[in-house]
Amino acid sequence: MIVGCGRVGSRLAQSLETAGHDVTLIDRDPGAFTRFVGRGVLSSQLVDKAVVGDGCDSELLRRAGIEGSDAFAALTEGDNRNIMAAQIARHVYNIPKVVCRIYDPIREEVYRGMGLQTFCPTIDGERTVSAMILGKAG
Amino acid sequence: MYVIIIGGGKVGYFLARDLLDRGEEVTLVERDGSRAEFLEGQLGTCVMRGDGDEMAFLRTTGIERADAVLAVTGEDEDNLVALQLAKHHYNVPVTIGRVNNPANVQIFKALGVDEAVSATEILLGALESSIGRDETAPSKD
Repeated sequence: MIVGCGRVGSRLAQSLETAGHDVTLIDRDPGAFTRFVGRGVLSSQLVDKAVVGDGCDSELLRRAGIEGSDAFAALTEGDNRNIMAAQIARHVYNIPKVVCRIYDPIREEVYRGMGLQTFCPTIDGERTVSAMILGKAG
Repeated sequence: MYVIIIGGGKVGYFLARDLLDRGEEVTLVERDGSRAEFLEGQLGTCVMRGDGDEMAFLRTTGIERADAVLAVTGEDEDNLVALQLAKHHYNVPVTIGRVNNPANVQIFKALGVDEAVSATEILLGALESSIGRDETAPSKD
């Protein structure tokens, strides 16, 4: 289950689905799905089973089938929305693999310390660019 | 008692006013600049403009010595994160959150918030105790 149909969410959803996994995408903006179909990122089959709604709403997640899922990724544009959705997946529905994107490096450190599996595009981007400038890139 | 209130909407404003009237020390945190200005005109210097989930800002509120933090913005996820930071990072003894989605009362508690209050849930309860009981009772009688 993937919450947040942006650039990362849509690509991840399609690559997992293509690899044979069963993926449900959730976004509160129905236009998000059609946007990425238009760009050729998402297949219409994935959009047909996508769910429109708030990924922080535990009842909506249940109706979308979270209870049967093996992994959950919180990839909306909002750090707090990702943090809340990921914790619901982890602690309410006991999903074994939960990944949470947090742009704010400080909040990312705090929630990683609290046991959430997080990643921070801000730090990743900084490291990548820094390595390129300093000539350490592979 | 030192109380930090996050969110200067109607709930936050009346909470702050009431606590100030009782002689408590209060900091009211509001994100929006013009709203913060209005609140400052009403309540004075206890109003701070800033984000309740930004750690660097929270530190400037003296959160380490707060007795309680109340998060009452209109966004459940913002309230949750502000209260978790208060609880886990600053060891604030009492954290209380306002939730809009009634299901989040249980979720906030499961995620470490001391108390969560849903106006929706309270109103539903009031409705049920006024009407619902009369409708379900007769079948048993």
